[in-house]
Amino acid sequence: MSNVKCSHCQLEFDKSVMITEEPELYFCCNGCQGVYHLLKEDGLDDFYDKMRNATIAPPIESQNDTGNFDLESFKQRYIKTDENGFSRVDLVIEGIHCAACVWLNEKVINQTEGVLEASINFSNNKAKVIWDEDVVKLSSIIDKIRSVGYNAYPYDHNEASEKSVEAKRDYITRVGVAIFGTMNIMMIGVAKYAGYFSGMDPEVLHMIHVVEFIFATMVLFYSGKVFFKGAFFGLKNKIINMDLLVSGGATLTYLYSLTILFGAEGQSYFDSVAMIIMFVLVGKYLEVLGKKSAMDSMDKIKNQIPLEATVVREGGKSVVMLDQIEVGDIIEVKNGEKASVDGKSIVELATFDESSLSGESLPVEKQKGDLVFSGTINNGMVMRYEATKNYANSTLSTMMNLLEDSLASKPKIEETTNKLSKHFSLTIILLALMTFVGWYFYSSDFETSLIITISVIVIACPCALALATPIASLVGISWATEKGLLFKEAKFIETFANATAVVVDKTGTITKGDLTVKHQSQVLSVENLALLFALVDASTHPVSRAIKNHLLQEHIDIDNKELLNIEQISAQGIEAYYQEKKLLGGNAKLMQSQNIAVEPSEYTIYHFAIDNVLLATFELEDSIKEDVAELVDYCQSNKIKIIMATGDHEKVARRVASEAGIDEVMFEMSPIDKAELIKKLKNEGETVVMVGDGINDTLALSHADIAIAMGSGADVALAMSDVVVMNNSLRGVKDSFNISGRTYKFIKQNLMISLVYNVLTIPLAIAGYVMPLVAALSMSLSSLLVVGNSMRIKNEK
Amino acid sequence: MNEVLQLELIVGVVVTFTLITIFVASAKKGNFDDQKKMMDGMLFDSPDDLKAAADKEAKQEEMIAKKREQKEK
Repeated sequence: MSNVKCSHCQLEFDKSVMITEEPELYFCCNGCQGVYHLLKEDGLDDFYDKMRNATIAPPIESQNDTGNFDLESFKQRYIKTDENGFSRVDLVIEGIHCAACVWLNEKVINQTEGVLEASINFSNNKAKVIWDEDVVKLSSIIDKIRSVGYNAYPYDHNEASEKSVEAKRDYITRVGVAIFGTMNIMMIGVAKYAGYFSGMDPEVLHMIHVVEFIFATMVLFYSGKVFFKGAFFGLKNKIINMDLLVSGGATLTYLYSLTILFGAEGQSYFDSVAMIIMFVLVGKYLEVLGKKSAMDSMDKIKNQIPLEATVVREGGKSVVMLDQIEVGDIIEVKNGEKASVDGKSIVELATFDESSLSGESLPVEKQKGDLVFSGTINNGMVMRYEATKNYANSTLSTMMNLLEDSLASKPKIEETTNKLSKHFSLTIILLALMTFVGWYFYSSDFETSLIITISVIVIACPCALALATPIASLVGISWATEKGLLFKEAKFIETFANATAVVVDKTGTITKGDLTVKHQSQVLSVENLALLFALVDASTHPVSRAIKNHLLQEHIDIDNKELLNIEQISAQGIEAYYQEKKLLGGNAKLMQSQNIAVEPSEYTIYHFAIDNVLLATFELEDSIKEDVAELVDYCQSNKIKIIMATGDHEKVARRVASEAGIDEVMFEMSPIDKAELIKKLKNEGETVVMVGDGINDTLALSHADIAIAMGSGADVALAMSDVVVMNNSLRGVKDSFNISGRTYKFIKQNLMISLVYNVLTIPLAIAGYVMPLVAALSMSLSSLLVVGNSMRIKNEK
Repeated sequence: MNEVLQLELIVGVVVTFTLITIFVASAKKGNFDDQKKMMDGMLFDSPDDLKAAADKEAKQEEMIAKKREQKEK
């Protein structure tokens, strides 16, 4: 057995399963083969040189929905026209892994006739495309992107995202100016400090002070504007915040240094002014970056909202924008389409894929009067339902709003630090005042008193305290994001680190949510095998897909038979004809309706019959995720209680739990039971983490101390969660424990560093043993210690 | 001696402010919106890419001129 790399995606596979071409070309799938040749033909094979050692995912299976991109409603919602008449759309490109992917996509789009400009942001995979609608349609551009193995979908370039881009640019400018200014002051400072010890011509010293003054003024009033604004709004609301201490400390030091510049005796501290502003500003900038990346993630999730709906009014059908749908409207949903608003079914029987809400991959039957949720997909016949809510109040829209709100909320840990710093700031201001008064009465020397007071303020400047929590949290959160974990608020790091119990849902969390064939009752002849394959190939139902995959795995060469009169029987199965033979494939209901006797089973069953004779029965089950063991081992070795809670019956629950290595199992639990379990555990003093993915878990998620949702789960679950595991892996939950534990440890260390620093230095400053220069240096050193210590979070051995 | 130092400091300040102005202008235009691409993009610079960039600009100018002409008509 030897492994070879796919010539397109560079992933390694066994040589025997590869598609081989001369000379020495290997492809893991037809998609990779197609894209490879397309790039060669278009002269874009430089892509492979630029990839270097990177690997990419095999091409995404293309969908036949590009027509949607040319719809009028799509244009109204996503496309803008500039003053020259060119159209502009903002897209999220799926499948980008490296800079070579960005290069390739930009090349492919830019080479398209009629495209004026295409540029892709590698940090968030967002693309801006400007094109001439008269020459090329957007659908053709999307087809081009898909032809090279990527996918694209639009995102709403709204005011909020525009503002977050503006905020980021503003901070980059301010931080850049602060770094420029501080670096220059520090370079000149080398000469000043050297001169301090070896003596310096007063005229040269004055020149140095002038230059320092110029840079410090720029840093304080341009870069530090955010602190003045924060302090002003704080005072307006009668709050003494960290911004006041930062801006107050820096301004006082600046004013004192001005007196030196204009002739007073002593040392200037313009360097301290610049450093105070720069360090704290960098911390704020990292926070802005975190918020922006969370907003970018939201744009990817928003793609689930359908663009328009077909409404039946006064006998006629019309396609309307979602916000034009009114309660009571009759909405028609075709096979494969998403329900646009919430409503109740008015047809006898329909089936919906509610996996985006429940995480369950099996379709849900809807009888007349049953609720239909927005965002769920009709995978049966064309159906109609009556809208009971408008778009703004429907499930999908509500969930999006919830998610946006949670992103906009301020991390509570920061509120705590701000509260702490409020008292700290007040204490320092009082201490400084008392120091000034005390020294003035003791020495009757205004200048000495002022210098000592400034030393107290500078040395107590809360840089280290201000940075202690946010810097460590941001390093932790960015580390988590790299691993596909979205912490919605920094406060969850602390709670997570102290968790003592984990409750895990079964379907979609412990199990994959994908059906696989576990048992086949009888062996089929080659002829019948081909007929069964043709039958399951005609359906997109998850059970049919599972049977098809099973057949492809077990039998490589299956003839392709052409079936006639294929009829999908909603919620039951499929019927078709081959020559004179009547083929039936589906569940027990379908067989019973044809008077074929079948035995009941606890598994999901697929029966196959020809001419009303049962030929084979397949038992399907959901398989367990490979990384369950890692989480279970982690919990057991760290004495964290792990419980599986499921709505399934006892036998299935126990089998899955035993395969996963989980001892405590709760079965046949309703969503309310799950929530009660969480409450009970909390009453027993446990800090509970709940891991789930479906709408049925949301109640329990809302009661848990930490709610974790799998990225592919229900939107409602995503909205209720505190942490989202984007890659749906339980290893992500283990990583969350690890990252938050480590980050929390470093937060505590940082707070200890700043506390020890203040306890040691403030009394010395009050006593007059620390001159402002040393105070500024030690203050900077404490900030550097905190920053350096936080950077160690990711250096896990 | 002091005059030389004075001149050096003035030149230093002027150069720094020129650079800062360039930096601020480019940051406001969005040049640093995508640091990741900027870093990796440096590795991709080649005569072919330069030529492609020049061709792209020429194509853009031609398209804009054509569109304006159409609009005027």
